[in-house]
Amino acid sequence: MTEYAIDVANLEKIYSGRSKKALDGVNLKVERNKIFAILGPNGAGKTTLMRILTTQITPSKGTARVLDFNVFSDGHKLRKEIGYVPQEMSVWTDISAYENLLIYSQIYGIAKAEREALIKESLIRMELTEYKDNLVNTFSGGMIRRLEIACALIVKPQIIFLDEPTIGLDPEARKKVWEKIVSFTKESGATVFFSTHYMDEADEYANEIAIINAGKIVSQGDSNHLKQSVGNQEIILGLSVPLDDKSKQQLRKLEQVIDLKTNGVEVEVWVKDASVALSSIMNSLFSSKVKIESVKINKPTLEDAFEKYAGVSYDSTEGIKEVNAVRRRIIG
Amino acid sequence: MDAIDFDLSEFLRVCYAMLELEYFRVSHDRTELYIRAVQPALWLVLFGFIIGSLRAIPTGGIPYTAFIAPGVLIQSATTVAIFYGLMIVWERESGILKRLLSTPAPRYVIVIGRALAAGMRALIQSLVIFLIAAIVGVKFVINPINFLISLVIVLIFSAGFAAFSMSLATVFKTREKFVGIGQLIIFPLFFSSNALYPLTTMPAFLQMFAYINPMTYAIDALRGLLITNNLTGLSTDIFAVILFTSIMFYIAAVRFKKIVE
Repeated sequence: MTEYAIDVANLEKIYSGRSKKALDGVNLKVERNKIFAILGPNGAGKTTLMRILTTQITPSKGTARVLDFNVFSDGHKLRKEIGYVPQEMSVWTDISAYENLLIYSQIYGIAKAEREALIKESLIRMELTEYKDNLVNTFSGGMIRRLEIACALIVKPQIIFLDEPTIGLDPEARKKVWEKIVSFTKESGATVFFSTHYMDEADEYANEIAIINAGKIVSQGDSNHLKQSVGNQEIILGLSVPLDDKSKQQLRKLEQVIDLKTNGVEVEVWVKDASVALSSIMNSLFSSKVKIESVKINKPTLEDAFEKYAGVSYDSTEGIKEVNAVRRRIIG
Repeated sequence: MDAIDFDLSEFLRVCYAMLELEYFRVSHDRTELYIRAVQPALWLVLFGFIIGSLRAIPTGGIPYTAFIAPGVLIQSATTVAIFYGLMIVWERESGILKRLLSTPAPRYVIVIGRALAAGMRALIQSLVIFLIAAIVGVKFVINPINFLISLVIVLIFSAGFAAFSMSLATVFKTREKFVGIGQLIIFPLFFSSNALYPLTTMPAFLQMFAYINPMTYAIDALRGLLITNNLTGLSTDIFAVILFTSIMFYIAAVRFKKIVE
């Protein structure tokens, strides 16, 4: 058993009849028991990558291993170990929640003796017990998503692929969906690989993030690493009086300070990490008897990192609208 | 992709799940069942009565409504089956197909399981037609074995058509195109079969077409089993139906990969 849940090398995919590469040499390693986010503009290859990793389509070139199974040749074994929720909709809306769980548990070959207990557990976990006999087309978007995840978790997969798990949901429903995912991974030690349009979710829930653009992974790391790689943080200090030259010199000498600019009573200081640098900057100013009236910190955000690596500004609205339209059509 | 190593228990398990899914569906919403009974009822009541009273078609002594009942029954079952491809178009648009492909269910079982599920829906539909036919006075052969064999033939034949329909869904990937194609297939098959007139009354070129039309065999089997109790052609009919369905299953299983890419 390797330490990686996903291990992808030089992966390429060209859909038949098209000349553009949907994936153009993806290299990616995802450690086990991590929540891993993949971000990228529309058409960057997120869904294609996920569909290859869940063995739905075959790559044109390169290798991809999930849980140490080759997605190409060990697909049948691998499919028993993975959970997957596609971006659009993966439950039947004209039958009940319970019936959906029952059908999926049969497809996965869960023994009859265990079935009822597992379905019950899933319903409780996803807070759907009291609606279990209702038709899915009476459910809210958040409930449908939780049911889809319930269907994916019923076999206790070692890895879960979630393609835009919360797209189109309101903030409260999104939070609830994530609470469930996080608690499941904590209990089971499963790996989560998800794509999202919501930067705040990647920031908050992912242990590691990769940014994909034009079929290539352009950056990978934890959220702080990605933000720091964009540029330095900026501390803006409002003072009671303009800074004199001596105090300025003293500030410049500080180890953490990269650059400094004054503008009347305002001082802008660039540092690598504001949380580390702030105390020594303030101490230096105190020792020069300068009175500080306000402090403001500007940090690069994940959006800034996205913009830098994806080459386009972060705009979630387009993709979200599209998926919402599909889901509305499906639910009716 | 994966080598097809046949696993019988897996095959049966997934087929059963697909049948159960269809059963849940039908049990939650029966309106489609009733709406789809209207047209066949009109065939039996209006067409059967009017043409029958003309006595223009040699039916070998049986009432005309009884003569066309097996054809109407098969046509209504086929209609259900041929529009089942629509379901696959829908499931492709939604994420269900993607989701099914990531489950341990082998692809060919997904196809065959869904085809059998469609066959089951068609069978339920044909029971409704059977009932209507009995109500309008069609005298059926009273023999439970004949009846059961008929049901199995309807199931197998409809499943074959549903598989054909799923193959079509790999070509016509939108609903609008699909609906048009469905009608375009059923009616020519219906009229070029022995549903409404005996083969012997047909012009030679149409007869030739009728002989390669799978509907002819299913109808002939049902007519023998349910109306005339003349079973001389039954083994040929059953062989033809099984051959048709096997070929359709094979094509659908091979074509299925196309629909998801």
